[in-house]
Amino acid sequence: MRKGLLIFIVLASISTFGGCRAKPTVADVADQSTPTNRPMRIVTDDLGRQVAVPVKIARVVSLAPNLTENIFAVGAGARLVGVTTFCNYPEQAKEIPKIGDTMTPNMESIIALKPDVVFVSTASQIEAFMKTLEANGIAVYVTNPTSLDGVMKNLKELGELMGTHEQANQLVADLTARINAVYQRVSGEKKIHVFVQISKEPLFTIGKQSFLTALLEQAGGESVTANVDSAYPKLSKETASALNPETLILSDSEDNKEPNEVFKNSSAVKNGHVILLNADQLSRPGPRLVNVLEYVARQLHMGKFEWKRGLDPSGNSAF
Amino acid sequence: MLEVWDITIRYGERDVLRDVSLSLRDGSIIALLGANGAGKTTLIRALNGTLPLAGGEIELDGCQLSGLSRREIARNIAVVAQENETRFPVTVFEFVLSGRFLHGGAFGWESEGDFEFAEKALAECDLTGYATRLMNHLSGGERQRVVLARAIATNARILLLDEPTANLDLAHQAMMFKLVRRRCLESGASAIVITHDLNLAAEFADEIIMLKHGRIAAKGTPAEVLTAENVADVFGVRVLLDTNPASGNVRVTNVF
Amino acid sequence: MAESKAKIKSFSASLCLGGVLVLLLVIVLVGAAMLGAEQLPLFDLNEQQRSIFYDIRLPRILLGACVGASLAVAGAGLQSLLRNPLAEPYLLGVSNGAALGTMLAFVFFQSLEITRPVLAFAGAGLATLAVYRMAKSCAGMNVERLVLSGVIVTTFLSSVIVMLTTLLDAAKLRSFTFWLLGDLSQATRNGVYLSLAAVIIGTIVLTSQARALNLMMVGERDAFDFGVEVSRVRMLVFGASSLVVGAAVAASGSVGYVGLIVPHLVRLSVGSDNRLVVPFSAIAGAIFVVFADTIARTAIAPRELPVGAVTALIGAPMFIYLLRKN
Repeated sequence: MRKGLLIFIVLASISTFGGCRAKPTVADVADQSTPTNRPMRIVTDDLGRQVAVPVKIARVVSLAPNLTENIFAVGAGARLVGVTTFCNYPEQAKEIPKIGDTMTPNMESIIALKPDVVFVSTASQIEAFMKTLEANGIAVYVTNPTSLDGVMKNLKELGELMGTHEQANQLVADLTARINAVYQRVSGEKKIHVFVQISKEPLFTIGKQSFLTALLEQAGGESVTANVDSAYPKLSKETASALNPETLILSDSEDNKEPNEVFKNSSAVKNGHVILLNADQLSRPGPRLVNVLEYVARQLHMGKFEWKRGLDPSGNSAF
Repeated sequence: MLEVWDITIRYGERDVLRDVSLSLRDGSIIALLGANGAGKTTLIRALNGTLPLAGGEIELDGCQLSGLSRREIARNIAVVAQENETRFPVTVFEFVLSGRFLHGGAFGWESEGDFEFAEKALAECDLTGYATRLMNHLSGGERQRVVLARAIATNARILLLDEPTANLDLAHQAMMFKLVRRRCLESGASAIVITHDLNLAAEFADEIIMLKHGRIAAKGTPAEVLTAENVADVFGVRVLLDTNPASGNVRVTNVF
Repeated sequence: MAESKAKIKSFSASLCLGGVLVLLLVIVLVGAAMLGAEQLPLFDLNEQQRSIFYDIRLPRILLGACVGASLAVAGAGLQSLLRNPLAEPYLLGVSNGAALGTMLAFVFFQSLEITRPVLAFAGAGLATLAVYRMAKSCAGMNVERLVLSGVIVTTFLSSVIVMLTTLLDAAKLRSFTFWLLGDLSQATRNGVYLSLAAVIIGTIVLTSQARALNLMMVGERDAFDFGVEVSRVRMLVFGASSLVVGAAVAASGSVGYVGLIVPHLVRLSVGSDNRLVVPFSAIAGAIFVVFADTIARTAIAPRELPVGAVTALIGAPMFIYLLRKN
């Protein structure tokens, strides 16, 4: 596949070139705003790596939009000094300096901001630069919540790390209460069969390994593609056509606002049971996922419980 | 009958050919001699209409060459040039048969007549039995003969040959000329042959034209043209001239 | 006499051979129609099954056939025209030009589907023109210059495509990544009609130039000497190739290796006469892609592979084998 090879070569060159920096000298390291007498501790990130971080973390960079939301959620938003171009929630995140996108963050900008910790959602994102960052006294912490439970754990973790345990724990307690409330309402109801469309053309959906599959279950639904391998499989239109889901879930991004042609005769389309969700919320495992849970549960079992305004940390409910 | 009046060919600022005239009568062979770069190939290319003239005229049977279409020219004039390497599996017969291009329509298939022409051409060039062999499995000399066969297959009345004996062994060098001669005698075709072999030219050509720096240095019968002065002037080599005891034609011997 | 007849096929013999190939295509089409992610009964389909078959499976199979035919026939024409067995739409920038055109249509004219094949054709044509212009020099054009120019144009266009995909948001990026590898899953009835029209016109035009290509294949100068109007042939072959490749790429992205492998296999079987190679490549290309796509859509059902990946997996080793054989 020459095209694939070419794309790989171009991207690899970009990343390697981006990573070529002069090795910092001893003088540089001594210059760091993190003086060596600052108390440090060793923590373990989600990948099991031992990371040395200051006890009092003052400046952080987030390389994933959901991590940005989580950091704000635990009350440490003011300490964010750099975020990605995709980080647009909460409002304050928009003011924070941008250091590139999730796939190709700008190393120079990150180093210039002199953060204590960089939060990353996958190790692969930043493998090439770990050495450089560490040489500059910047810790790299990998964390990647991929389920509601994972989000709770992550919020607690962040609270721990950033020293805002009280606020974090309170948030987790509230969110858990909301999750339980939903559970109370929908357990015992017949599960609604749902097809979640990730992209209209080509047709992508959620599979076994997607956190949305589990989320749907908790909302009183069942993904009709729950047993398809991989997180976001490209689905055969023939199979999709035969599925006949009761409800369709779409998102509000350009390429996903309409159901795929194959569903035109499904009971979901015929009965107008089409749910449109905010694309950001659907793809970011963070506290807003609970909003999604509540909304979906409500839509699926319409009229079965009243909408209660959720305790969203920014005081703002998406729906 | 090909008449050439004072033609000039220009590449950019340079005159590659200047004031060249010749007259090719039916049934005759003209040998075109000269050092490398003298303009021999350019003359051939001009004669088949490939190159535009900066001056002068070429007439084919009384009609101006520039007024004739590609097809009309190709029907009457066939070129035997240096052959390119073929990168595809083409058989000898397919190669020769493709010379019949103008004798069929776009989707036209070859007729029996086309097959016959091709086969006769192969036979004339001593290539019977080669029909199913692949072109790129032949030696340089064999390929050269196939190229000649293709030109013969077109049945064109005028043949222009650019160093047709370049890669041929002794036997086939003479054979090539004999072939061209026979064709001219039998069917009234005529030919202009570029060659470096002065003796073959003397033996087979009715007329010799010597080119030097794009101009005609000498023109006439072999006996008239092949003199020590002319050869020294055009080629810069010393030669001895006498008569070939077998044929009675001029014989040129290099003095080393 | 008989000996020479043996290698040259008469008109009737060629028709027979063509007939056999068409029969093979029909068999493959029928076979493909019977396979898919969903098991369909042979008779008495209910409404939903009928919808699956006529709206989803059949258009896809037919599109696959058209795309395969298009790419193979363009490859055959370009290889003969350029005297280069390695010539094919991708190498010469034609595919990438069409891909870029389609992407631009998608980005700027999102929903207006007709813009895609139109811009694809424009892209393919412009790329071809660029290659041709670059390769031309006052001494005339030779094959080496042409192939070099082709490589420059195609890699340049590849970079532009990569740049464009980097600037797109994640959602669009995902759909393009799959499409760039060749994806027949977006087949629609109209798409099939368009592709069919393009490939029929293209194949007829290219076959009409087959005799001229036979001469050009061994030397452009020779062809000129023998009466071929070389620039006209060049224009027709480039034009027809751009047309069919544009239509194919607009519908299904860039399916690789078809234009390269299929004409070679056809030549190995029937010789180098373009009157056979060109139309037979079209049919063989159709067979190849329908076969590859059947694998793409059933191997990991209900998930799908991009068909370009399958053609590469089959095509690359086959190509190596062919190279060895020579």
